[in-house]
Amino acid sequence: MKFQDAVKKSIKAFVDGKMPKTLMEMKAEEGLMFTPDYFDELEASLVEEKGSSKKSKKKEEPEYEA
Amino acid sequence: MKPDFKGPIPGANLLADPRKYPWHRPPEIVEYDEAVDYMLNKISEDEQSELIYSLLQIDINIPTVVSSMLMQAISRGKIPIDLAVLIAGPMARYIEIIAKMEGYKYDMGLDESDRIKVTPTLLKQALGIIDNEETEDPMQEGPIAAPAEIPMGGLMGGIPEEEGIAPEDEQAAMLGLNVEEDTDGLA
Repeated sequence: MKFQDAVKKSIKAFVDGKMPKTLMEMKAEEGLMFTPDYFDELEASLVEEKGSSKKSKKKEEPEYEA
Repeated sequence: MKPDFKGPIPGANLLADPRKYPWHRPPEIVEYDEAVDYMLNKISEDEQSELIYSLLQIDINIPTVVSSMLMQAISRGKIPIDLAVLIAGPMARYIEIIAKMEGYKYDMGLDESDRIKVTPTLLKQALGIIDNEETEDPMQEGPIAAPAEIPMGGLMGGIPEEEGIAPEDEQAAMLGLNVEEDTDGLA
């Protein structure tokens, strides 16, 4: 297997929410930070942040009458 | 001919310094979280992020970008190869999130349905080997219809009617019938 194929396989597993067994054990023992859940939460918080900033921008814009 | 002694001595590699290259030495980072943190900081650097998102714009998929970044880190002796494979997922996910947020076009490169199957025909077409004549099936064409008019003149053209049949004298001359044999010398 080529390095790039291994990388692709690893990415696919991570995106599907899977992690290697040993890493899962490490997660349980030491508490890993960068897990699939962490990135899901990061994405959700960034989407929320972006949505709220858009709303606040809309409020700031003055309404012009024709 | 003089022997050339410029080549490497057999077994010289066994005496060379094993710490010559960064990947020959123990890697700097061996912890998963530390390695991910290091790579995410790398991605967040201005120069790197500009390069990454420019690559995504020209239809280079995320696994290719990630693997090239990891190869760079391995060659500098920052992370070992097995850890590089482990942290590929978090890196790809981070790039995906940022691309999504910023509205950049990206391809995760994981969908097999988009993959074009390599076939001999495709390969021949790509290499320009196939001619148009070869692609057409000669069995499907059917018999070649005879032209309505026979072309005249030229080497392969038809013979005009007036010139078609030679006069009788000419035919006889061609056959050698009207030539009188000279029998004087024989008698």
